[in-house]
Amino acid sequence: MDTLLSGQMLFAALVSGSLYALVALGLNLVYGTLRLLNIAHGDLVMIGAYTAFWMISLFAVPPIISLVVAAALCALLGWAVYVGLFRRMLAKPELAKRVEANSLILFYGISVILQNLAALAFTSTSRGYQYLDTVITWQGVSMTGNRLLTLGIAAAICFGTILFLRFHLFGWGLRAVIQRREAAQVVGVNLNRVQLLTICGGFAVAGVAGVLVSMTEQITPFMGFPFTIVAFVVIIIGGLGNIGAGVLAGFCLGLVETYGIALTSPGYRSILIYGLFVGVLLIRPEGIFTKAVRS
Amino acid sequence: MKGPTRLVNAALGAVMATMTAGAAFAQDPITIGYSIARTGIYAAAAPSQENPYKLWQKQVNAEGGLELPDGERRPVEFVSYDDQSNPANTVRIYEKLITQDDVDLLAAPWGTPMHLALAPVLQRYKMPMVGNTAASVQLRNVAPGYIWFPTSAIPDAMGAELAKMMQAEGVETAALLANELPYSQEFRSFLIPALEEVGIEVTVDESYPPDVKDMTSMLVEVREAAPDAVVAMTYPADSFLFAGQARELGIEAPFVMSLIGPTIDAYRKANGAGANGIVSSAHWSSEADAWPKGQAFFDAYVAEFGEEPDALDSALAYMSMEILQQAVAEAGLDPEVLRGAIAEGTFDTINGEVRFDGVQNVVTPTGFVQIQDGKIELVWPEAVKTADFAPKQGW
Amino acid sequence: MKNIGLILGVALAVVAAAVPAFGTPYMMGVVFQVAMWIALAQSWSMLSATTGYLSLGHAVFYGVGAYVCVLLTGTIPFEWALLAGAVAAAVFAAIVGLPVLRVRGPYFVILTYGLSELVRHVVMRIESALGSFGRMIFDVPRTEVLMWWMVGLAVLATLGAYAIRHSRFGAGLAAIREDEVAAETVGVPVTRLKLFAFIASAIIPGAVGGLALLRTSYFEPAQAFDPVISFTIVTMALVGGTETVRGPILGALGFALLSELLWSSLPQLYMIVLGLTLIIFILFVPRGLSGLFGRLGRAG
Repeated sequence: MDTLLSGQMLFAALVSGSLYALVALGLNLVYGTLRLLNIAHGDLVMIGAYTAFWMISLFAVPPIISLVVAAALCALLGWAVYVGLFRRMLAKPELAKRVEANSLILFYGISVILQNLAALAFTSTSRGYQYLDTVITWQGVSMTGNRLLTLGIAAAICFGTILFLRFHLFGWGLRAVIQRREAAQVVGVNLNRVQLLTICGGFAVAGVAGVLVSMTEQITPFMGFPFTIVAFVVIIIGGLGNIGAGVLAGFCLGLVETYGIALTSPGYRSILIYGLFVGVLLIRPEGIFTKAVRS
Repeated sequence: MKGPTRLVNAALGAVMATMTAGAAFAQDPITIGYSIARTGIYAAAAPSQENPYKLWQKQVNAEGGLELPDGERRPVEFVSYDDQSNPANTVRIYEKLITQDDVDLLAAPWGTPMHLALAPVLQRYKMPMVGNTAASVQLRNVAPGYIWFPTSAIPDAMGAELAKMMQAEGVETAALLANELPYSQEFRSFLIPALEEVGIEVTVDESYPPDVKDMTSMLVEVREAAPDAVVAMTYPADSFLFAGQARELGIEAPFVMSLIGPTIDAYRKANGAGANGIVSSAHWSSEADAWPKGQAFFDAYVAEFGEEPDALDSALAYMSMEILQQAVAEAGLDPEVLRGAIAEGTFDTINGEVRFDGVQNVVTPTGFVQIQDGKIELVWPEAVKTADFAPKQGW
Repeated sequence: MKNIGLILGVALAVVAAAVPAFGTPYMMGVVFQVAMWIALAQSWSMLSATTGYLSLGHAVFYGVGAYVCVLLTGTIPFEWALLAGAVAAAVFAAIVGLPVLRVRGPYFVILTYGLSELVRHVVMRIESALGSFGRMIFDVPRTEVLMWWMVGLAVLATLGAYAIRHSRFGAGLAAIREDEVAAETVGVPVTRLKLFAFIASAIIPGAVGGLALLRTSYFEPAQAFDPVISFTIVTMALVGGTETVRGPILGALGFALLSELLWSSLPQLYMIVLGLTLIIFILFVPRGLSGLFGRLGRAG
């Protein structure tokens, strides 16, 4: 019981929760505005992780700066993917009709290409580096520097994005596109611009998450897929396209994981998470934090 | 830019190789076929196996080629395909290598499932193959004949040896954390009775799924139990997680083991001094004076690939090629004669002498290594150790 | 009738083309592989092509079949174990079908994926609780026998898919794809039809899983429920085209042969080329290979 209430557990839950929320945020933006099932999302995390690794190994640039580089790289990729592929796809009625199926396969192709390009260029040997790994103890809670940094940056980006969407005019436009696509166009939202910026933003966020992940995990070309899955779990629990609820759901997943393991046994970790995922889809597919207004 | 440079080097190397092959070697090359997981779940493990193959090839060709019984030397050429980490593909690839590509010799794929799936294929086509990166008690169920396993990291022997080692180091209580993947679970199933036998009490015993992302609750439990030893039966991905979080929580046990992972170069780069004192499974160290070839292999590997060889997989992969090389020098390329030579012979490898009885290497002792000052030292068993076990001094 | 002739023609052609080379085990392996993907993609199309419910979790039926089969081999002849695998997959589909099929659109896609992963983790947990660490099978049938079984399953799946499409049942499913709510209002027993389609699409993958297991003679849950299987099925079916029965055959054949070709000639690059091919296909050949051939046929 003491363990359950300890700050140590809460810290662990918040760190994983913030990372889940961040990874899911990017996916949710892309799904919300473009209705694209981006299963290459985790591979962007991989690109972010490699960016951080090469930056620190070759140029001794710390990850805190690589954050920007990774975000820019992934945003560029987002731009290329949108302009090169998806604008074309969304413009063809024949393709746009089955947007889920088509985007799934397109992104599957992109995912395969990214993974194998990385393997070809960097070999699939696992990589790792040391950064900010001094342990700080505060009020009996031990925190590794890089995990604290992860929590800080991930939470800041998540809540910053929510505030931006709520208070900035662009955010209004974006929310309008998510909620009522056709109506948004009628009232003068530049759909093309919103979509382009969102996909860049969504990809950039994944790149940032990759930099954070690289500080504590091994880096390989095939590390991305689990992140794709976690992101889907989170946005399903929150509700597809619902940005704020997705962030909340990310933190919830962190809590469920940490406390769920503590209350049952670590062996049930994945069963718990996928059980929750399947349960939510069966009972409330619109997400548990969404008011069931939209059909 | 190391990555791209390597790519260019590889391309140049390939071109050069073709050119020199045309000029220097008039003889037919000897082809060696294998499959490797370039993509999929095992891909990260593949270079630790394929790099030694490439190094061995380069060394052999530099000597003029692979020696045959009549003293003739022929260059070695590899034929390899990606099995996408899928044993069904492995089976198909070896059938192709044997029947279509008509390779002269075979080298092993990565991992226990692949080796097990291959055993019947080798039997059917009567092609010998020296295995390497497979370890399971189930290997003993494989009908002896065309496949051999040089590893001594078989879970039952390891369980018994680890218990002995822990007893020798004065461990009285132990916490066990095990990944749910087969190798860890197998090891756990043999370790628990072995610990009981030597009177070591198990105070924590948890299994966790391979996609675990946070170990805090498990490690808090371990910290409260304050055992003398923590045995984490990890795979590479979770070995990083375990080290990071055990460090964060300040696990103070003097004996900390992480099953697979610590011998990987990147692990030590990611954990720095924190990795010191961690025990892991491997039965080879370049530091051993008894195995003079070990240091030469280590140095050549570092020079070639810019990182250290994995003490487990890379050593085994290289050993399997040494065995093949010596058997070919003795018996030539006829599969049946070669089979006899491998089955009956005694080989001199970077890991010392190797001899097979049935499918298993019966010489190399089951051992454990410890990271000391960033180096991999063999600390068990007594007979071959390169350094004494040193209790872990913090992270 | 012209259609069924064509389908059988294609199916027979696959077999016949390979007959002269049947002597070589490598060809047997290729035929086994191609037939496996035809059987899987065709089964998938029984649900997903007809109703538009896109399943991204067909690996679950494959895995359940493989698991049941490995538990039973050694105790009963392998033919019966395969049958048991198929039945187990069907029973599983029947149990989860009703709640799962209430979910629609992108949610269904993600749900089927999640379900497959959930079952994979449950099986892993069971195996670890049983103290089993990967199961080996001894005395597997010869490759030739396995290949013929797989070809049989591919033909069966194709006939099944054809029968469904050209029946009242299939017409009902098509109505669901066009507009489920409207179909329900005009009295189509929507729920029942979907459930039947779901079960039908699960049976053959169950047996395929068992056969694939016999080929590798080793079972490990992580491999039997590998999500890549699900992705590959969907990819092949969509590349082939979902509008006709020959679509999945063309997709599986085209994809498997292409990868066979690339795989040995461009070992480093073939996955990248495969990825590019996928992208090009979706963008420029939206109706798949069968649509492409149909158009060429009309033009000529």
